Formats: sequence, structure tokens, C-alpha cells
Amino acid sequence: MHHKFTPQTRMSDLIDEDAILLSTISRFGISFGFGDKTITEACAANNIDTRTFLSVVNFITDGNVELGEIVQDLSIETVINYLKNGHSYFLFYKLPSIRDKLIKAVDSSDQSIPYRQVFIRFFDEYVDEVRKHMEYEDRTVFPYVIRLLSGKNEGKYRIAVFEEHHTDVDSKLAELKNILIKYYPSKGNNYLLNEVLSDLLLCEKDLATHNRVEDYFFVPVIDAIEKKTNKSHE
Amino acid sequence: MSDISIKIAIAEPSSIIRSGIAVTLKRIHGFHAQTFEIASPDLLLGSLKLYKPDLLIVNPIYWIHLDLNKLKEEAEILTLKTMAIVTGMYDETITSRFNDVIGLYDTIEQLQQKFENIFNVPDSEEATEENETLSLREKEILTCVVKGHTNKEIASELFLSTHTVITHRRNIARKLGIHSAAGLTIYAIVNKLVDIRDVNPTD
Repeated sequence: MHHKFTPQTRMSDLIDEDAILLSTISRFGISFGFGDKTITEACAANNIDTRTFLSVVNFITDGNVELGEIVQDLSIETVINYLKNGHSYFLFYKLPSIRDKLIKAVDSSDQSIPYRQVFIRFFDEYVDEVRKHMEYEDRTVFPYVIRLLSGKNEGKYRIAVFEEHHTDVDSKLAELKNILIKYYPSKGNNYLLNEVLSDLLLCEKDLATHNRVEDYFFVPVIDAIEKKTNKSHE
Repeated sequence: MSDISIKIAIAEPSSIIRSGIAVTLKRIHGFHAQTFEIASPDLLLGSLKLYKPDLLIVNPIYWIHLDLNKLKEEAEILTLKTMAIVTGMYDETITSRFNDVIGLYDTIEQLQQKFENIFNVPDSEEATEENETLSLREKEILTCVVKGHTNKEIASELFLSTHTVITHRRNIARKLGIHSAAGLTIYAIVNKLVDIRDVNPTD
């Protein structure tokens, strides 16, 4: 299969191509300031497996999900680290920052009615859902995969269980967006509300990409490893 | 009315046709198509098992020995709908096993019609007649929901059956695109259906 980015592509060109890769690079633990380094050089400088990094960025930039041949010899640990970093980014950075902006926007729009509490309650319930979802992955799915890789897996858990329960965490975010766009009585020009909305839209896209990597990149790879392990046991 | 979300697997060896179909399906009005593409026959069963799509679009020439009923059983999706990608003149015995066919020159409108038939969507004219504003009764029920009353309580307050209350609630969620209680609360307060003092956000 031919891919857009090769080991010789310059790291800085990735970001020009697709801004969403900016967060991907950070979540792999690659620091900026890579000058004119190629992907191979920048990965080596940060101790990141180049093949794995390339497979993920190529998967993300390709808008369509194509279940191709499973890439062999990926560093699964690197993928797990990338996904875990994504979780902490959403839970400890992005969502709290949106919460602050939401409060500011609501407070400034109409002082006479205290919307604050209802909006915060809605948002906190949403964050709670996301947290449960991500904690399940951190505590159940990833440790299972690590056990599977080390050949020490004895339980009955299978990655298909995760796929079945992988609920759609961006639907409630869409609901909040819906309320703000369609039903919120904002008056005139409201930059703060605008700011919250653009953050929500970006965050929704970012979360969707994160989930796409989990469902269509990570899960098939693990599924293939499960099948191989089962065969060698037979 | 909000879009119907459907998960679609596209099994076709040509990447141009496969991706072309995926992009085209995303333009169909009234549906939100989530697609994934399957390039090689060996991946078909495994992917269906893992992702349980609602619709399989497949090129019958490359999967000529495909036994659809057996496939549905093995993948454990008995409700799976199927469409054949038709790139030439085929004998009807090949295509009649599928719910419908997709031709390379189908227009978006034709595809929409086919999707509506396959997924039993009521006539789009009927659907647009019903607007998205809430009826008086629905507003009453929404107010009760937001105040924290249970379906049973609402039923006895408004002299309705619990079943009717549930139907109204479902319609409210569909019309507004809001499903959670907290979301409905925001809607009700913002639209002045209830006073903020009537809802207790701390419980």
C-alpha cells in the first residue's frame, strides 16, 4: 500500500499537511523544535519507533477507514502510550479548559438568570462519562493487551468485548454544541461563546480521530495478535 | 428530523471505486454514513464480526461464492442488509440475492431512495410536515421531567398512561436532538419553560 508520508518526509511538513497531526506528534512524546529533521531522525531523537509513528499518522490523514493488511512488527507499547497521552490530554487539559471558558461565557451573557449551575452540571456529567470510558481503557483494555503481548494472558477477556462496549463519547458533546447553537439566547456579538463553540468543535473532531484510531487501527491489530496466539496454543 | 446513523462496510478490491462509494454515501441526505472499507476477501468475515455493520456493500464478481445467509449467521448479524456493486451487465440470479444494487452511475437521489427503502424510512414528505417545535402537551411533559418527576408521577398528574408519557418523551428527545435530563433542563430554562428555582441542580 502506498502512503502519503514516508520515513524521509520532514516532520514539519506533517503539520502543514493536516493540523490535527500537531496533537498526534505531541501525544507520541515528540517535542517540537525538530528543525528540518526527517520523520526517521526526529523519531530516533525521541526514542520513538518510526514504523509505528508513521502507521498512525498515515492512518489519521487518510480520511477513509480502510481495513488493509495488518501492519506487522508494530510497537504496541508505543501505540498504547500515544492513546494514554490522549486520555490525559482530554481529561486533565482540554475538557477543564473548555469548562472554564463555558463558565465565563455563560456568566457574561446574562447576569439576571443564573444559568451557570445547569450548564456546569451538564458539562460535568459529560466529563464523567468520558472519564469512565477512558479509565476503562487505561485499567482494563491496555493491561489486557500488555498481558497478551507477554504471553501471560489467562483470562477470558477479548478485544471484541471492548469493541462492543466502545460507546460513542462524542454524542453528548454534540448535544451541548446543539444547545449552544440552536437554543442559547445570546445577545449580539459574543466572542466568549464563539470561543467555547470553536473549542467544542475542535475537541469533538479530536475525540473522533482518537476513537477512530482505537476502533480501526488498534483493535484490528490486537484482534490479529489474539488469533495468532490462539493458533499457537492449539 | 435528525439523520439516521448507519454503519456500512464496503467490500470492493478497486480502491478508486471503494473510496468513491464511501465519499458519495456521506453526501446522502437524511443519513449519517459511517463507512469502513474492506480491500481483501480474507478480511471480510473478521471485520463483519468485529464491527457489526448495518449494511454490507459488496462487489459480487470478486466474492462470487459468497453465501449471504451463511455469512450473516457466521458474523452473527442476522439483520445485515446487503447491496451489490454492479459494474456491468449481470444476470439477475447474481443480484437478486441482495436487498438492492448500487450502479456506478447512480445519482445521490437514487441512492437516497434505495437507502430509504432498505431501512424503511417513512416518506420524506410526511416527515417534513411534522416540525421540530414542541406541542403544548410536550412542553407540559418536559416541564415535569425537568422538575425531576418520574414517568409514573407525570402520568398521574396529567391523566395519561405511563406508556403515553414515554412516547411523548421519545418525541421530545427526537425533535430537540437532546437526550439527557441535564440537556433538557438547559433547554427548558433557556426557553423559560421553567424557573431556575424549580429545578434543583444539586441533587
